[in-house]
Amino acid sequence: MSKSTLSRSKPYAQLAAYLLFCAVILAVPSFVTDAFLLNKFARYLALGLAAAALALSWGYAGILNLGQGVSFGIGAYAIAMHLKLKTSPVHTGSAGLPDFMVWNNLDHLPWFWQPFHSSLFAVAAGILAPVVVALLLGSFMFRARIAGVYVAIITLAMLAVVNLLFIDQQAYTGGFNGITDLAWLEAGSVTFDPYSPAFYYLSAGALSLCLLLGLAFTRSKAGLILQAIRNDADRVRFFGYDVAAYQSLAFAVSAGMAGLAGMLYAMVLEFASPTFMGVPLSLSMVIWAAVGGRGSLLGAAIGAILVNFMQGSLSESFLDTWQLILGGMFILVVVFLPNGLSSLIGILADRLTRPARQTPDTALAALSEAPRAGRTPS
Amino acid sequence: MDIFFGQLFTGLSIASILLLVALGLAIIYGAMGVINLAHGEFVMLGAYGTWFLQSQFGLPLIPCLLLVFFMVAAAGWVVESTVVRFLYHRPLDTILATWGIGIMLQQAVRLSAGAELRYVQTPEFLSGSIDIAGVGIPSYRLFILALTAALLALTWFVIQRTEFGMKLRAVTQNREMASCYGINSARIYSLTFAFGSGLAGLAGALVAPIKSVAPDMGTNFVVDAFMVVVVGGVGSLIGTVVSSGLLGSGTAGIAFLLNDTLAKALVFLAVVVLVRFRPQGLFVDQRRR
Repeated sequence: MSKSTLSRSKPYAQLAAYLLFCAVILAVPSFVTDAFLLNKFARYLALGLAAAALALSWGYAGILNLGQGVSFGIGAYAIAMHLKLKTSPVHTGSAGLPDFMVWNNLDHLPWFWQPFHSSLFAVAAGILAPVVVALLLGSFMFRARIAGVYVAIITLAMLAVVNLLFIDQQAYTGGFNGITDLAWLEAGSVTFDPYSPAFYYLSAGALSLCLLLGLAFTRSKAGLILQAIRNDADRVRFFGYDVAAYQSLAFAVSAGMAGLAGMLYAMVLEFASPTFMGVPLSLSMVIWAAVGGRGSLLGAAIGAILVNFMQGSLSESFLDTWQLILGGMFILVVVFLPNGLSSLIGILADRLTRPARQTPDTALAALSEAPRAGRTPS
Repeated sequence: MDIFFGQLFTGLSIASILLLVALGLAIIYGAMGVINLAHGEFVMLGAYGTWFLQSQFGLPLIPCLLLVFFMVAAAGWVVESTVVRFLYHRPLDTILATWGIGIMLQQAVRLSAGAELRYVQTPEFLSGSIDIAGVGIPSYRLFILALTAALLALTWFVIQRTEFGMKLRAVTQNREMASCYGINSARIYSLTFAFGSGLAGLAGALVAPIKSVAPDMGTNFVVDAFMVVVVGGVGSLIGTVVSSGLLGSGTAGIAFLLNDTLAKALVFLAVVVLVRFRPQGLFVDQRRR
């Protein structure tokens, strides 16, 4: 894998790339003043965060999670419940019941909705609830040494289960329509109007923080063990490490990040809907991460932002053809560039530096590197 | 008693459609290890192919079936030889690439046939219902049931009793060895993929009269079909049959007690638990490694 050799030889270059990206996204409001554009960009950043979260579990730990929408959706619903409670008195009078509950003949707020009056609780729930779900599902799967394709199938089935449950429990979740008409989040004196620079900073700040923390996590001992598990779980197990615990950890960290991404996404769109937990969105996230580069958090985030930016800036008439191009581009990347566009940088860097120092030493190193280079994370 | 028979038949009917859709997937996944997420789109292609033949040339359903089988099989053959062929050593990447193919097929159909729902007519002699044990049963559902059984028998025959089937089983067991004995494994894989896709197309043609035909109809089918294949066990035809029976009757039974949505959710949850404890499926063929 050229990416990991690159990061080993140039750890500072990698950190610099992350910092540069964070600086760029945080500087955007200084150049863009159009509220509509800022809102769009904030949405792309939220999706970038979801893709980065996926890269953490998929690229680093080898857990292909086709049900990223579970965490994403739980995060979205957690914040939507809070924002709905803030808005509902305006819509339904003094009882303070959200409109869809009134339509479903509920006469009082269900107990599990009560704590969502507090914004702090809602934000905590949006991150911690996915973490808990992921820990439970993770230890359920990984203790039985479920791996590879079966992880993909279980997570896909879980996505379907959660999606159907949220649709079914109409009185508590709004059913097919989801939770609509949300208020704006308030923290102290700041109101996060999704069309304001304040909200953009919230989105960009969350993505920057998660990317840097995620980078630190992948560089930590746990991160290295996870990469070892990805390459050969049995070998790590023979060394005496608790493989299932590490896999659950990566799964849970990824879920927490995805929950945060879901919260941002619900706030920027001002609704939460069961489509957040639909199969197409979760698989799209996999596509974005794969296009950008599953082996790099930054690559995955940029992949998501790029794909959505291109999609969002095309005219309506061209949008139909775009899906065709997207599918084709995706197939090309999977077949020819399994580590995504970000691996291009590593390949180019190798090309540029190799002819300069073609000594016997490096030639030998390249030879011994060769059998491993063919191995892709799966 | 009527209710019981009614439920039993609903279960059988759901199971037969599940089996119909899962059969092609079971062959492709079982023999080649390719997770074909474009399978649902092949079903969709079959449904649209039927709609097209019916609305443009006025062909009745039965002759459509044969044509649709070969049309979708050809599409599968093209997909195998342009994309899937390069991914046999990377099974997880087949998930991604075939999803990309699915997106393209969906969009291509949306562009050429329009996004609105299409309807396929049931043949007239199958539009009535038959009275069995005091329960009125739509004859088209019976027709599907019978045809599914026939297709199952055909598939069994192809795999167990033909030269192609023998080569396929050899390649499945050990591709290198089979190649050493002069079997053209690339050709066998292409044909297998085409056969599985053709079966998906047939499934699409058969469900077209009872479900609405839309470009994104495949997504639900593919998830259901996967659950069937995984529960039944990879590479086991009997397993696929029994698991579609189990999932079908389970869905029908729970739906009768609760509702459709919860039934599906609970059945999927049961699948998750089952995969956790028996990832090889209920009926795994022990000879396979």
